[in-house]
Amino acid sequence: MTTTIATRVRDRAAALPDRVAMREKDLGIWQEVTWADYWDRVLDVGHALLSLGVEAGDRVAIHSENRREWLFTDVGTVAVRAVTVGLYPTNPVPEVRHLLADSGARVLIAEDQEQVDKALAVAAELPELTTIVYLEPRGIARRYTDPRLLSWPAFLERGRAHRRAHPGAVEARMAAARPDDVATLVYTSGTTGPPKGAMLTVANVEFAISVLVEGGGFTDPPPTDRDVTLSYLPLCHVAERVFTVWFNAAVGVQVNFAESIDTVQQNLREVQPTILFGVPRIWEKVLAGVTIRMANATPLKRANHRLWMAVAGRIGRTLVRTGGVHTPATRALSAVGSVFMYRALRDRLGLRLVRYAASGAAPIAPDVLEFFMGIGVPMHEVYGMTENSAVATANRPGRIRLGTVGEPHPGVELRIDDATGEILTRHPGTFAGYWNNPAATARTVDADGWLHTGDVGEWVDGTHVRITDRLKDIIITSGGKNIAPSEIENALKASPYIKEAVVVGDRRNYLTALIGIELDTVGDWAQRRRIAYTTYRDLSERPEVVALVQAEVDRVNERFAKVEAIRRFRMLPKELDHEDGELTATQKVKRAAIQDMFADLVDDMYARAA
Amino acid sequence: MTALLPGSSRPRPLRGRPDLHTSYAAEMALLNTPGKRRGVAALAVAGALLALALTDDWLVILARGCALAIGAIGLNLVTGYAGQVSLGHAFFVGVGAYTASALSGDPADGALIGLGVRDMALWLPAAGAVAGLAGLLVAPIATRLRGLYLAIVTLGLVFLGEHVFREWTALTGGVGVGRPGPAPQLLGWRFAEGSALLTGAQQTYLVLFALLCLFALGGRNLARSDVGRAFAAVRDRDIAASIIGVDLRRTKLAAFTVSSFYAGVCGALLYVVTPYVEPGSFNLNLSVQFIAMVLIGGVATISGSIMGALFLATLLRVTQEIIPRLLPFIDTAPRRDTLLTTTQLETILYGLLIVVFLIAEPRGLYGIWVRIRNYWKGWPFSY
Repeated sequence: MTTTIATRVRDRAAALPDRVAMREKDLGIWQEVTWADYWDRVLDVGHALLSLGVEAGDRVAIHSENRREWLFTDVGTVAVRAVTVGLYPTNPVPEVRHLLADSGARVLIAEDQEQVDKALAVAAELPELTTIVYLEPRGIARRYTDPRLLSWPAFLERGRAHRRAHPGAVEARMAAARPDDVATLVYTSGTTGPPKGAMLTVANVEFAISVLVEGGGFTDPPPTDRDVTLSYLPLCHVAERVFTVWFNAAVGVQVNFAESIDTVQQNLREVQPTILFGVPRIWEKVLAGVTIRMANATPLKRANHRLWMAVAGRIGRTLVRTGGVHTPATRALSAVGSVFMYRALRDRLGLRLVRYAASGAAPIAPDVLEFFMGIGVPMHEVYGMTENSAVATANRPGRIRLGTVGEPHPGVELRIDDATGEILTRHPGTFAGYWNNPAATARTVDADGWLHTGDVGEWVDGTHVRITDRLKDIIITSGGKNIAPSEIENALKASPYIKEAVVVGDRRNYLTALIGIELDTVGDWAQRRRIAYTTYRDLSERPEVVALVQAEVDRVNERFAKVEAIRRFRMLPKELDHEDGELTATQKVKRAAIQDMFADLVDDMYARAA
Repeated sequence: MTALLPGSSRPRPLRGRPDLHTSYAAEMALLNTPGKRRGVAALAVAGALLALALTDDWLVILARGCALAIGAIGLNLVTGYAGQVSLGHAFFVGVGAYTASALSGDPADGALIGLGVRDMALWLPAAGAVAGLAGLLVAPIATRLRGLYLAIVTLGLVFLGEHVFREWTALTGGVGVGRPGPAPQLLGWRFAEGSALLTGAQQTYLVLFALLCLFALGGRNLARSDVGRAFAAVRDRDIAASIIGVDLRRTKLAAFTVSSFYAGVCGALLYVVTPYVEPGSFNLNLSVQFIAMVLIGGVATISGSIMGALFLATLLRVTQEIIPRLLPFIDTAPRRDTLLTTTQLETILYGLLIVVFLIAEPRGLYGIWVRIRNYWKGWPFSY
């Protein structure tokens, strides 16, 4: 019988029924779900899907924030050999239409009225969508009359009725599972075109679990059921799927769902996870939060902070040199620093018990990683993508190289194309292709099975991989110089005052940048200097703020070669947003769209010089 | 089966996460964080060890402080938590003191009422109960009056009480004569007499300290329960409270009854420490002292009540011992060249302290503690 995440949950429920599988905060209390409850609920969902006529290979879409029902549905769907499709809660209506139509989902699990409305707005164009299950009845129950709507309790009741009538039906379907069944469609964020659905099979998922979870591909020692994680990034992204669903199903890591992305800081403090994955944006925000709160602290606390941050910088730099292994001197400094600063700071940030922290999904500035290493958070940069089931490289504990994404996992073939510098990977986790898009699949996976990642990289010391940039983002100036914009952008974004930076300069004679400020920190900075402002735009365009950003730009320019210097910049007049088509669902900047939208600013930066 | 699963191990509760509550019981627990548990345990042990560390005269003062603290908790329940201003606390203290004294008095003494019930396990609850009953009788007035009017009515209560205590000589012995306090005997153990190990003062202090812990726990428990929340709701806005379903009459009744019970117990215990009851003691001055304890300690806090009571109880000693040495024009007894006596100074100090606290730190000693705690709790940030 093929092992799937469904059989893993079933086996764990049989062996350790009373252990806690997950927690979700409801009305101030972290409600626990045991493995026995988890499996029972999965069976209900599986039977309900069967009763709705879901066949092997049918798609079940989930449009919700991270919550218990997400996992119940995901595992229940895999149990009946159907395919889970995750939608980002922030997806606007046109993207929802594209994702539902492209995947041809039969059943949609929608979180609340907002998501139900999005689906109903385009439901006429989705003939295959037969059922919409809503989780939160508020605003829907007794008001909406669409015949396709079904409440979650009614959905489960349907499942239980089916279970009574056909006991063992889900188990029978599970027994028929095959390794090449598609388990999930993960839609890529689509910085250039519409999102494409990557098909990950049962075998892909099992390979990823064997390398990343059971093989301890990230953590050392491998995770166990004593580890605790906080689930807060969108589950439709492959990285969060690894850290939430797969870590949980494979070894029983306890998952705790954050209430929302805005309460992550508070939830982190409560949960104090032992394993934590974050995207660069999250880590930058944590660092910016420390800066703001420290600026408002009492003089004694500020002095204490300055002293121990200087020491932390020293510890961080030493750790960077040694690959993350403490020397006796750094160990002693950390121990003393813990008493005065680091332990309390980590506790306030919710990182006190973190034994493994990872950053991935986008490039991060080394300074940010160094800060976390300095205060005693074992931080590792990892690399992977949807198309290779998130299995590629990772910095292993004790062998960290800052600025690289680490070493290839065991069993992963990785080479760098001589001509283009593109990183290619080959292993059993390589995806089965894009859904309904053989042309794109052929462009991505070549005849020999090598996956073209689209990232340009180079070897460091023959063991570690450094990523320069996305292949398509490389800027070639009119002088013919190749420049990787993300390095400059990340150096800029490491400043607590800068949230977004888009470097422009392709086929131009010098580099310029569009810069968006971090409203929290700059607002706080302005308040302390008694600079009055009204809106984001007003604050951005204050001469003092422009001078502040200029200072940050100058600081970054010193670190780069002359051709890589930002000669001019303009402030973005608004916060970039997914809904306005400036960011992808994963908060990645859509370069082309931005340069188009703010073409006047870009032209202005080049017009003056001419 | 278990062996097949990687990473399985024996079950373990989530440690080191004091803010992760998985049930309401855990979140609402009396001592819901390890820090509180350890702190309270340390305080209890330190309090008990004081019996060995201090001289007998200081222990008498602290024992008196413990008794006063129980009374202050009572006043804080009705005034701090439930917002019903009461100037009549001294009356209930007196009722408690005389109930206990009369119960444990010698029946052979023809001049004074005495029932011969000598054990504390009997006379202490009875003192509380009679005072509580008196509170229950007064409470209907409180349900009809608010604020200043209630304060005036309770003020009248003190004068009525004082008159009765002065005139009912069979109970109180009369002005200038008085009567012995209740018998210091607990389940046959005469703790005031001293033993091979400890002196009488040490034992008395320990008994009172233990009782204070018990009553403080009771008060804290009441304050965090639905009753306590109803108290707070009535205090903050009685009309709003009644609209959300709080029974005003019942809540005020409960507040006065419980408060008077505490006052009664306080009265009985005060005269275990000072073994002579003088009918003139239960005057407005005593009521004001209790209000000072509550205001200086911290309104609507149990630990504040204790801090305030202990602070004022020791203040008397400080004014008697230290100040005359520093300022020769102040003396313990009035002489021709003394400007102020210590008793007068004490009264002035009460007034000054209340004014200073109300202006500088309205949350009292407890507020100072909270500031210190938050300073370190926020470390390394300020918020």
